[in-house]
Amino acid sequence: MFLSHIEISILYLHRDLKKEFIPIEVELFWQLKNITMRFPGVVALDDVSLDIYKGEIIGLIGENGSGKSTLIKCLSGINQPQKGEIYCQGEPVKLTNSALSQKLGVSTVYQEFSLVPTLTVTENIFLGRLLKDKKGFVDWRTMHEKTRSILDIMQIDIDQNAIIYNLSVAEQQLVEIAKGYTANGSLMILDEPTTALTAPEIKRLHKLLRKLASTGHTVIYISHRIDTIMEFVDRIAVLKNGRLAGIVNISEITMDEIVKMMSGRQITEHYPKQRNVQDEIILKVENLTTETGVNGVSFEIRKGEVFGLSGLLGSGRTEIARALFGVDKITGGKIYFKGKEVKFNNPQQAIEDRIAYITENRKTDGLFLNFNGPKNSTTARIKKLFKSKKLHILDLKKEFKSYDESNQQLVIEPTSEYKFVGFLSGGNQQKVVISRWLFAEADFFIMDEPTQGIDVGSRIEVYNLINKFTAAGKSVLLISSDHLELLSMSDTIGNLKFGKITSIVDARDAKEKNNTNSLYLESSNT
Amino acid sequence: MNTKLKKKSMTVSGFVGPLIAAILVAVIVGFTTDRFWNLGNLNNLSLAVSITALMAIGSTLVIFTGGIDLSIGSMIALITMAMATLIKFEGWPVIAGLLFAVILGAILGAFNGLFSAYLKVPSFIATLAGLSIFKGMAYLFNNGSPIFSIAGNFEVFFYGKLFGIIPLPLIYVAIFYIFFTLFMNYSKLGREIYAVGGNEIAAKLSGINVKKVKFMTFIIAGAMAGVASVLMASRLNSGSPNYGSGMELSAIAAAVIGGASLLGGRGNIINTLLGALIIIIVQNGLNLNAVPTSMQSITIGIIILIAVLIDMWKTDIAELFKRYFKKEA
Repeated sequence: MFLSHIEISILYLHRDLKKEFIPIEVELFWQLKNITMRFPGVVALDDVSLDIYKGEIIGLIGENGSGKSTLIKCLSGINQPQKGEIYCQGEPVKLTNSALSQKLGVSTVYQEFSLVPTLTVTENIFLGRLLKDKKGFVDWRTMHEKTRSILDIMQIDIDQNAIIYNLSVAEQQLVEIAKGYTANGSLMILDEPTTALTAPEIKRLHKLLRKLASTGHTVIYISHRIDTIMEFVDRIAVLKNGRLAGIVNISEITMDEIVKMMSGRQITEHYPKQRNVQDEIILKVENLTTETGVNGVSFEIRKGEVFGLSGLLGSGRTEIARALFGVDKITGGKIYFKGKEVKFNNPQQAIEDRIAYITENRKTDGLFLNFNGPKNSTTARIKKLFKSKKLHILDLKKEFKSYDESNQQLVIEPTSEYKFVGFLSGGNQQKVVISRWLFAEADFFIMDEPTQGIDVGSRIEVYNLINKFTAAGKSVLLISSDHLELLSMSDTIGNLKFGKITSIVDARDAKEKNNTNSLYLESSNT
Repeated sequence: MNTKLKKKSMTVSGFVGPLIAAILVAVIVGFTTDRFWNLGNLNNLSLAVSITALMAIGSTLVIFTGGIDLSIGSMIALITMAMATLIKFEGWPVIAGLLFAVILGAILGAFNGLFSAYLKVPSFIATLAGLSIFKGMAYLFNNGSPIFSIAGNFEVFFYGKLFGIIPLPLIYVAIFYIFFTLFMNYSKLGREIYAVGGNEIAAKLSGINVKKVKFMTFIIAGAMAGVASVLMASRLNSGSPNYGSGMELSAIAAAVIGGASLLGGRGNIINTLLGALIIIIVQNGLNLNAVPTSMQSITIGIIILIAVLIDMWKTDIAELFKRYFKKEA
């Protein structure tokens, strides 16, 4: 149903949306006034003002890079805005560090977990504020009891003595939320709390948050899953390109209107999709099984096709990519690539067969921060720089030349020729990573969250590149948590759950039919 | 993009700082005593720096990958003893003994590499074990006593002079440093060493055989310890289980003072030579001014701290200078 709304929303693009809202409770709690936050090259927040009332749940939504995370980082004291004021209960406050905002009752659950993996649940929940008894000793008994009771209230079935790294991603997320709850924050901020959770877990979480709100806690809830948000928030704030596109009572707005606010007029240009699927099958995976949790996965990818993998965090998306690329060991099944059976024991062999892997985390798995752009771009096939077949000396001029050439296609920031890549923007960094695989002459691209954390302009450039690839007969395996992106840019979508593909649908059908086999319902109806 | 900028970024990066520091140290020491800029003293200086400088090449390469090699000092003890035994008691020709030294070094390096690169023992631990094992093995030769007078003219490798002027160790240092500078900048393995040190996961996902790269750096470190062993043995025409003790730390210090990051991926092989020079010049200066050994050791420690702090605050300092000069203008 969500999907059809997007389409309908396009029809209603020209209606003005700004509605007045009536606060649920009159007591003003936090106030953001004209917040402007600039990062080198981008304006992350542009004159954002937001009133937050006591006991309400605000849903904060917006596309990737719209400034959601930056806004909450301003509230939790990690970012200091260049302009604007923040008021807490009428008093102007300067949140210069996170300890200060914690003192004021802001507790934040981040997208990236901040748990210490080697400590227990209790230790993590009370990290930094251990309870002590009268003699000054750490009071483990009380802490364990408190943890237990919190976990019970939240109906989380986890042992308080469990070590974090033994827990599943979903369980870790619940512990993270329990931690925020225990901090007794009067303002709880949850950044994408549902990415790793199943539907019943999400329901339970919502119930809990509602309960908290009724006892005077205020919740800011960030998500890009509009339907889950609409189920239970009081007001919804929509950010778009760093500006507040609107804040409205949930009863006065429809999902269509929200989608329209989020994506604005250019929605059709946001996803410039070209269909270039050919008949020839390039990759055939049969019953792929790995130790990392991929459990009998089969699918085919054709020449020029974009095959989207949809599923929750930890459903096996990245694990499939790693297995295909020869990183993780394959324990069962077969892979046929370009007409012959292949078995990659390491990434070298996959790269030799012209496979590219653009990883989810650029900084940790992709970039060499000690290298400039050109050096980063050649690492996957250094051999190509040899002066000749016999003379194995690197030709550094060739390196610059090839970088210049790929730059004509990718339009990377020119200073990247000598700057360390750490100094580039996310979009430019991603393009440097892509240039590496162009240099390696890849014709099969595995892209794991290729547009995560990059600006809108670069995103569209990435989409255009995908089109260019498919037009040239190259294929793409696209992994993304951004459903819109996945739907719009894929030709075919495989739905993943618990390491298994539950259905494979044509992306066009998924848009039109929106019945049981549509991608969105797939992940929310469990 | 203009070519000037490109070149600047490639060659200058981090090279000027240590060079200025080395010159500065030399000038300061020159002021404290008139015996410093004396040809005989400079000759001694070049001899003194050569052994550490050659060893430091290996340490630096290991450090570039993000590892560390603590065992090369003990390697010198073992290699000088084994080589002296073979030449003196087993009647090996001298040239075979020299080759043996380098090959044995490479084998010992491979031992370190096997454990730290392939069996994933942290390099600090693996080479700490190596430090102890190689030292112990050195005592197995000649009942643990030093071996003197290895061969008739063995000193020539250390005290010999090219055309009667240039000390041979200086030639070795020049050859090896030029070679390894080119190696790091123009060879595939050199590039891969930087890549592994910069981001091991990314290197692996770029198809670089990370284990092999690490393994190779330990072999090179061992082989360079073999080269240094020849000079060490030649210096007093002897082998001793006490040789090399603590020299691995001087070698690491040279790399660090030269600006190599212990986290890996950043640094410059020539800078290590400058680092070694700085240490030796300071030591020489303290010697010439009759400063007691205790103070020398303390001074070297302080230099290491200062060098690392300068390296860490480099960008801030540059910024400060920029602002200052802007005001002036």
